[in-house]
Amino acid sequence: MLELLQQSLFSGLLVGSVYALVALGIALTFGAMKIINLAHGELVLLAAYMAYVIESRTGWNPYAAIPLAFAVTGIVSVVIYLLIERIREHRELNSLILTFAIGIILTNAILLVFASDVRSTGSPFLQDAVSFGSVYAMKGEITAFIISLAVMAGLWWWLKHSWYGRAVRAVSSNRDAAKLMGIDPRRVELAAFIVAGILASVAGVALYTMSVVQPALGPGLTIKAFIVTVLAGVGSIPGVFCAALLLGVTEAMTVTLASSALQELVGMVLFLLVLFFMPNGLFGARTRRG
Amino acid sequence: MRSLPALLILAVAIAVPIAFGGNSYVMGLMVSALIVAGVALAWALLGNLGGMVSFGHAAFFGVGAYTSAILSAKFGLPVPLALLAGACGAALCSVAMLPALRLSGPYFALAILAYAHIFKILATEATSITGGSAGFQRFPPLPTIMGLDLSSRIGSYCLLVVLVALCAAIYLAVKRSHVGTALRAMAESEDATRVVGVNATLLKAWMLLLSAFITGLFGAMNAHIINFLEPDYAFSASWSILPIIAAIFGGYRTILGPVAGAALIYLFDQIIAKELLPVGHEILLGVLLAGMILIAPNGLFGMFQRKTTKGAAHAAA
Repeated sequence: MLELLQQSLFSGLLVGSVYALVALGIALTFGAMKIINLAHGELVLLAAYMAYVIESRTGWNPYAAIPLAFAVTGIVSVVIYLLIERIREHRELNSLILTFAIGIILTNAILLVFASDVRSTGSPFLQDAVSFGSVYAMKGEITAFIISLAVMAGLWWWLKHSWYGRAVRAVSSNRDAAKLMGIDPRRVELAAFIVAGILASVAGVALYTMSVVQPALGPGLTIKAFIVTVLAGVGSIPGVFCAALLLGVTEAMTVTLASSALQELVGMVLFLLVLFFMPNGLFGARTRRG
Repeated sequence: MRSLPALLILAVAIAVPIAFGGNSYVMGLMVSALIVAGVALAWALLGNLGGMVSFGHAAFFGVGAYTSAILSAKFGLPVPLALLAGACGAALCSVAMLPALRLSGPYFALAILAYAHIFKILATEATSITGGSAGFQRFPPLPTIMGLDLSSRIGSYCLLVVLVALCAAIYLAVKRSHVGTALRAMAESEDATRVVGVNATLLKAWMLLLSAFITGLFGAMNAHIINFLEPDYAFSASWSILPIIAAIFGGYRTILGPVAGAALIYLFDQIIAKELLPVGHEILLGVLLAGMILIAPNGLFGMFQRKTTKGAAHAAA
């Protein structure tokens, strides 16, 4: 029993790192534009299917698909931004409905092109098992975990040290003040959407290598990412990372101790509890979202 | 002049059974369209008066359906009472969502989406009550009242027309009451409204309750009309998506918009979209929704209304 728990703890941590990448994409665009991109999960899914295309057509390692995946998610992400930009009245709610509609379009486009079959990697290297003491993992999971960490470190550096990253943080914290400092918020928002596209492309490919994908997965991914951002509270990358690991571990534990049908339920209950009792998130920032 | 669209819709509603009464396919489509119309009306009420976007009305729809079906089948409750109980059940489950009202715009929308998922999972897992994913059937159909068999296509249609009209009347009454005025003020500035002594959260809670009640009622109606339930159907995301598109297409800030929108969208989906794309036909609905938000966020009736008010202003000047 103890070994089972150790194993689910470990698997949960590995899958949590991918949740963190998805959640950071949503958090970034929300920070810059105060708009939740409900189609972000579908962007991730789109990238996962690009990995499938590359692997099934060429037989290369799915990670070779990252440039293609990024080109696709980047373009779609920019299109989403340009469409949101056109909304004039009731921007907050209308953009929510718009991205919801884009999510429906993407889900069904994937369904039309790739059919509703479940896909996963066939790479023998990625499916190979490695053991760490008493726990096991697929090499694909370990790779995904390491790449996710690297991308998060890159994002952290970008936000901290690059001009655009700092501009994103400036616009997130005070849009008007940022404008007065000579920052064009539109360029910053565009940058945020492009970086969200990069995060989605890596997350999608990682998801494909460690798990199974199917067209209906998109909304679930968006919800999970949103759960993570709510658990984390506004702001820090380490907070999002910890919250994502927490969600991953909670889900894995539920599958081990109860049933896989309850996996999503536990995540949502956790989400609602935090939302109602700790509205600033577990790793609290100061602002209330009320 | 102002009541012209309403009379037009009423005329269509009366003309349909006269023209197509014998055609059970058309009447079946119309019955489903009216179900969507009822939910769209409830969604628009929450959106327009309460200022809240919900992606989770499927939760109310499913809870209403299951409550009514279970009460009438297992506890022998007469169907009309069971329908009412279904609506109350949906309203009751919206009480569980009241804490979400503290959240603003996008957070509320996503919290309610999460709720919808929770209810769907619960319905699938609670096999002893709902029958789980195997489905639930053999519950009584709609009764015969005053010689009109409500379980027939024509009977269901007439009952639904009356119900939709009733809900529209309730919506109109709320909108015109002082509650409606307070809610409109709240949409402009919630803080200012609170300062003058309006309990904004309480009013929003009532709107959520009313919206859930209406949605549950139509969910229950639908269950007794088709006489079969399974969680994937009763809690299907379509029950959230179709009403949203219907309301946005028709104009969610009007009362007739969602009703007319539901009829047009549902028929478009069933007759044109499903014919073109048997799999993934919802992509066309998505395109339609995105297009409406970008080009005409006020919907068909919204555009019409704006034109007439502009015309009136010109006439006055």
